[in-house]
Parts: sequence; C-alpha cells; structure tokens
Amino acid sequence: MTLIVSLAIGVLFAAGSYLLLQHDFIKVVGGTILIAHSVNLFIMVSGLSRGTEPIYPLGDGARVSDPLVQAMVLTAIVISFGVTALLISLIYRVYVSHRSVDIEHLSDFEERLVQLEEQQVPPEPGIGVLEDREVDEDDESDQPDRDGIQRDERATE
Amino acid sequence: MNATVFLLLAALSAAPLTAAFGAARPSLARPVAILTTAIAFLAALYNAFRPGPAIDKEWAPAWGMRLHLEADGLAVLFALLATGIGLAVIIYSSGYIPLHLHHEHRPEEDQTRFFAFILMFMGAMTGLVMAQDLMLIFLFWDLTAIASYYLIGFDSQKREARVSAFMALIVTGISAVGFLIGALMLDAEFGSFQLPELIASVVPNYESDIALVLILIAALAKSAQVPLHFWLPRAMTAPTPVSAYLHSAAMVAAGVFLIGRFYPLIVLRGWMLDLLLVVGVVSMVAGGLLALTRDNMKQLLAYSTIAQYGYIVTMFGLGGKAGVLGAMFAIIAHGLAKSALFLTAGTVTEATGARELSAVGGLRHSMPLLALASGLAAASLAAIPLTMGFFKDEYFFEAATHHGRLMQVIAVVAAAMTFCYLARFWKGIFGGPILGTVSPVPNVLLAPIVVLGALSLLGGFWPEPFARVASNAGQVSLLSTDELHPAYHLSRTTENIMAALAIGSGVLLFFSRRVWFATVELASDLGEKIGPERAFRAGVLNLNNFSDRIHWIEVRDLRSRVATVLAPAALMVVITLIFTNADSSFELQKPHRDDLTLIMMIGIAAIAGVAAAIPRDHFSMALALSGVGFALSVVFALLRAPDVALVAVLVETLFGVLFFAFLALLPRNVEHADVVPSDEPQELGHHHRVRDSVLAAFGGLLAFLVAWGVLSRPAPVDSVFERYVDLTPAAHGGAIVTVILADFRGLDTMGEITVIGIAFLGIATFIRRRRLR
Repeated sequence: MTLIVSLAIGVLFAAGSYLLLQHDFIKVVGGTILIAHSVNLFIMVSGLSRGTEPIYPLGDGARVSDPLVQAMVLTAIVISFGVTALLISLIYRVYVSHRSVDIEHLSDFEERLVQLEEQQVPPEPGIGVLEDREVDEDDESDQPDRDGIQRDERATE
Repeated sequence: MNATVFLLLAALSAAPLTAAFGAARPSLARPVAILTTAIAFLAALYNAFRPGPAIDKEWAPAWGMRLHLEADGLAVLFALLATGIGLAVIIYSSGYIPLHLHHEHRPEEDQTRFFAFILMFMGAMTGLVMAQDLMLIFLFWDLTAIASYYLIGFDSQKREARVSAFMALIVTGISAVGFLIGALMLDAEFGSFQLPELIASVVPNYESDIALVLILIAALAKSAQVPLHFWLPRAMTAPTPVSAYLHSAAMVAAGVFLIGRFYPLIVLRGWMLDLLLVVGVVSMVAGGLLALTRDNMKQLLAYSTIAQYGYIVTMFGLGGKAGVLGAMFAIIAHGLAKSALFLTAGTVTEATGARELSAVGGLRHSMPLLALASGLAAASLAAIPLTMGFFKDEYFFEAATHHGRLMQVIAVVAAAMTFCYLARFWKGIFGGPILGTVSPVPNVLLAPIVVLGALSLLGGFWPEPFARVASNAGQVSLLSTDELHPAYHLSRTTENIMAALAIGSGVLLFFSRRVWFATVELASDLGEKIGPERAFRAGVLNLNNFSDRIHWIEVRDLRSRVATVLAPAALMVVITLIFTNADSSFELQKPHRDDLTLIMMIGIAAIAGVAAAIPRDHFSMALALSGVGFALSVVFALLRAPDVALVAVLVETLFGVLFFAFLALLPRNVEHADVVPSDEPQELGHHHRVRDSVLAAFGGLLAFLVAWGVLSRPAPVDSVFERYVDLTPAAHGGAIVTVILADFRGLDTMGEITVIGIAFLGIATFIRRRRLR
C-alpha cells in the first residue's frame, strides 16, 4: 500500500515538474497544481492512523482516522486554490497587455525594452551608472505603459 | 536630571525639535536651531567644569549591551567642539543657507531639512563621544555617516553632489562594518562591550589585533587618511557650512576621536602605533602637496584637512605626553581655525561668486575685518607665535624629537608646507590686485568668523583653558594624570629652533613657488587621477555590472530561476537519502484486499496526472487536471476524510469553472499567438522536451523515494491528535476536523482566510479592464 501511494505521489510530482519546466505560462500553472495535489496526497496518507471518520459519536474503542492531517490538507487545498486563481488572473492580465503567455516571448519583449532604454540614455563611465537608474525611472513610466494602453484597447475590442 | 543626561538630551533633541518647528512654520527652523544648539553648548560647557555622573542602564542585557555614556575628558573636548563650532556654523548657516537656496532656485522650506540634518549630525557626534558601549558607539558612528550623506548631498539636484554623498557613505559605511566586526570580536574574546571593562581586561592576542586593526581602519577612513582620503575633497560639493562643520568638529574629527577612545588598547601593540605613524606621515605629505597646488579654495582646505589630521594621527603614533595630549590640543586649534577658514571661503564665494583663488584678489580693501579674522585663523593653523596653533606645533616638534632625527625633518617639512599653502590661501583671497566685483554680505556671514579667529588669537595669549580641556581628554587616552602647561620659552629649545626653521622654510617655499609649482601640480594631478579613487570607482562599477548580470539572468529566463531553487533542493534530498540511517527500511507490505478501490482511485489520479502533462492544448490539460482533483477527492473520501473530500469536490468544481472561463477568454491557439515579432524560429523551447522529461522523471523519483521512506516509518505511539479527539466534545462540536480548524487552530484558519482574501483582492485588480498603475 505504502509503495503504491508513494509511486502515485512520485508520478504526480514528475508530471507537475515536467509542466513547470514548460515555457507556456498556463502549463506552468498546471504544474504547480499537480505538485500541490501530490503534496496533499502525501500529507493525507502520512496520517498516523486509519479508522473511522473523525466525527462524533465515535464507536466504542474504534480507531479514528488522524483528524490533524485532514485539517491541514483542507487548509492546503483552499490556499492552493486561492494561489492558483491568482496566478490564472495574473496570466490573463499578462496576456491582455502583452498578447502572449510564453515566457520566452515575454523575456524577449523585456530585453528589447531594456535595449531601447539603453539607447536612449547612454551609460556614462564611472559611478554614473548608479545614477542612471534614477533617471530611467522617470522615462520608464511611460515607455511600456504606452504599449500597454494600445494592447488593452485591442484586447477590449 | 544630572548634567550628563542633560547634555545628551539637549544634543539629541535639537534635530527633532528643529524639524518639528520647521515643519509647522519654515521660518521657525532657524531660531529653534540656534537656540537648541546654544543650549547644548552651554550644557557641554557645564560638563567641562562639573562633569555629571556616568549613565549606565540596562539596554539589551541578553547581549551584554548597556546604555553606558559618560562625559569624561575626551567626551567633553569633542562635545565642546561639536556644539561650540556647531553653534558658530549654525549661526553662519542662518545667513548662508537662505542665500544658497535662492541661488539654487530652491524653495525656502528646504532649509528645515538642512538644519535638521546638521543638528542630527551634532547630536550623533555628542552621543558618540560620550558612549562607552561599543554597540552604542557603532550606532552613533553610523548616524554621523547617515547625517553626512544627506548633508553632502544637500544639493541633490546636482549629480556631483549625489555621487560625492554616495562615495562618502560607502567609504565610511563599509569601514564602519569593519568596526562592528571588530567590536563583536572583542566581545567574543573578552566578553564585554563596555570600553572600561575591555581596557581593564584585554590581553593582546591574535583576535584582539584583528579587531583593533578593523577599528583603526574605520577611524582612519572617517578621518580621511590616505589611502581612504578621496571622499573628503569630493565632499566639498556640500554647502560651505557643512564642509566647515564636517572638517573641524564632526565626521573627520570622529575618526581621531575613535583613535583617542581606543588608545589604551592600541598602545598595547607597538606596531599599531607605527601603523598610525606611517599612515599619518603619508597623509601629511600627500595632503600637503596636493593643498600646495589646488586652485579651488575649498579643495585646498580639504587637502589641508587631510594633512592636518595626518599631523594628529602622527602625534597619536608618536605617543607619550607630548604626542597624545598635544594631539588633543591640535584638534582644538585645528577645529577653531579650519572652521573659520572654510566659512571665509563661503563668505568670499558669496560676495564675489568666485570659487577659485585665481578669480579673487585684493579683498583686504573691501573686507578688512574678514581679512583680519581669517588671517588670525590661518596664522594659528600655520603655527605663528602668539596664536593658539603655535603650541600645537610645539608639541608636535617635541614628540618628533623624542622619536628621532628623521621624524624631526618630516615634521619641519610638513609645517613648512602648512605655512606655504595657508599663505597662498590667504594672499590669494585678500592680497594682490583687486579682481572682480564685491557685493556686500550680511554681518551674520562675518561674525562667526571673527569670533573663531579671535578665539585662535586668545589661545595664543591664554592657552591655559584650552590646554586643560586637552589635558583632561588626553588623560582618558593615556590613562595618566599628565597635564599640558603651554608657555613661551624665549630660549633656544629644540622646539623653538624647529619652529623657526619651519616658518623660515615656509616663507622660502612660498616665495619660490614659481620654481616648483608646475612640477608639484603635475604630480598632484597625476596622484588625483590614478589614486585610490580610481580603484574605488572601478570597484563600484564592477559590482554594479555584476549585479546587473545577476539581475539579467533572473529576468531573462524563468526556467533557470526555477532551476536555481529546485536544483539545490534536489541535491539536499539526494544527500539526505544517501546519509539517512538504513534502519528505516522501505516497507513492502502487501496491500489489503479492502483497499482495492482506494488503490484504483489513486491509480486513476496518477494516470490523469500523466495525461495532464502530455497534451499540447490547454483544454485537455485542464480536463486532465480536473480529473486528478476529482480522483483525489474520492481518495480522500475513501481515507475516511469526509470534510476534506467535500471541500476538494467544491474547490475542484470552482477551479474547473475558473480555468475554463479563463481559457475561453484567450484565443484557442494562444500558444502561437504572437504579436511580439521574434527573430528566432517558432519552435522555441520544443527541443527541450527530452531534457525536461529527464529532469521531471528525476524529480518524481526523488519525491517517490522520500514519500516511501517517510511513510514506511513506524507510527509513533502517542500523537497529539488523540488529545484533539478527546477535547472535541468540550468545544461543543462533533466534527473533529471542523473543531480543529475553527477552534483549536483557529488562528491558523484566520491567517488562511486572510491569504485568500488578499489573493482575491489581487484577482479583482487583475481582471479589471482598466490599465494597471
């Protein structure tokens, strides 16, 4: 029994980490969900006893299933749902503003933004580099956002 | 309230009071600043005559830290400087800063900031000099660095000011960390942060040597000694009163104060005195040479400060009564004279707009009083007889004579250079033909200089009070009862001969400057260019690039970031698996017949998990994920966990709705939707499939081994859950899991609800159609 459960945990974890390594954000979220499932299963079966449901009235002398792990798993399920929902809406937002859910595309996009900024403000030698950041913050505020507005509008249509 | 507490409170409360009144009404900042400083100065004066008892209170007993402050001789000297010169500088600033802000087109309200920070500087200095606990010293030490950062960078609209402030903060801040390490080492070795206890108990050994060298480095960096001097000339971008204060009574003085404080520990090792001697002499010569050629008034004075503190450090290195007590006297003489000279430079710049010596001249006609006062200060610093500074050089020569012929020569040369650059400074401003136009300056820009110059002269005729303060301070450092009694000896003592030689060669040097000026200027320029400042800049630049690269790796590739978290975790698991005791053998028990349904459902969950990983489209993946979730709900139900099963079903349903709704919002082939034109071919990432599979299989294997190992362990005999089961009826509940969640671990549940609440706030923000700000 232990072996079978452990195998299942291992399989779920493997599938989850495979998805986690994908470059598609939606699959990455799927990966986190699967890993959460495998961990929930692990916590559940690591309960110290198996027996009847932990609900009064208990039978005389009957063994009760460990209620503590159940409480923990219950909490874990709810929290991981909350986190997943947050991630999904975050991806939605990323899609709306960048029209992509692919990590590599988004990285490219950011890379290009940085390059654009560097062209605008040539770095000076010396400690100046530290200062340049400060200057950039002002420029930065419109740069990506202007893109964001256009994309937002397109997405709304 | 005793005198010590009063001094501390007066000095520390000056800044907050000024800030508060200034915030209410900007016009109140100046009078409040002057008033609070005056009170602090009076308190310091009172302490000079009647030192209050030491304050010694518990602070953090578990760590051996105490609020231990004492107004001993050393503290009184520096507190008098900090508050006395502070008073002069603040009165000067009350005239200077409004003009300065006007020139810079800044609002008048900014002066509150200036006065608050300079008073914070004064408070930190006063606290620092009284502190006897190493941690307390460190605290005030860093507070001075922070205050100096804001003061040097006061003209924050100028790039130069920001860079200089940053440099000062880095140099003194990093060396302060060395001080902290040294303090902790002393505590670890000798079990105390209290300086008096340490002085009584330290037996020099390897650890204490390292600790003291670290502390010395912090002190020398703060006193702008070579090779950590480069921040000081840079700091001249600060408004002039800040420079005056920084150079004479605060910041730079804090460094030599620290040497004085730790002097009883330093003398235990002869080579540490030699170290001070070497650093002092090098600073003296380098600072002197650079000061000889600088054209910018404030730059000249800055290098002169490096040289003068080189004097003082050298005197500490020479040691003995003349050395240490003389060093204390020199600190007073230098503080009074140097602040006057800086303020002179400020007034001259205010009157003529010039910052360079070559751009001014002949001011003796239009500003005779200023010429006289700053002439007195310069004379004092140049050690002309009948001024206070004469005695500082006399003690310097006396200490040098004890040390040997070479030191005598160095001392005379240094004194001659001092004379020469001060003569250049004074003559450059007040002598020669009249250059440029002079606009009248308010009296408040003159009065403090006159007072300081007069004090320098007074010290030449009546040195006794200054000598007493210096003696009391030196006694703390030397742990002796020696006293200074400065007086003129009209005979051919060695010191008098050396002084005459110094002044004579100084005059010679001054009038022969056509001969050597170009060469020395070239050498100084070269020294400024390839000096340690270059190394500092290169270091900062490289660190910055390094941090950019790290940042870039993170931003560039999420997967490598995931790997940096997961790979070490996997490594640790492997190590644990290898080294875990083999007793807990893996269990290979035959499954029970009743568990057949359970096994089936677990199998379904696992298969659904694999199915979720395979497909390319998101709908199939979402379906498979739901499958895993529902299968696990059944597993939970079969494990006799009805509450969990119910919640799981509910959550899975919600999750399904959410996920499918989300997918419905995206185009079908979102993976290929690509508005960001990419130069790279479209099959980005696909060739990683094999690598990903291997990594995933490895991770799964580890998870499997860990789970199997843990689950095979025999259950402990008693568990906390039995208590929960027994207590549930007392909580008026029947469902034990519910009671645990709502009652026994109710706080956890509240935290959970908060997490969910925050998550949903985030979701609500994300899915709104408006643009994010």
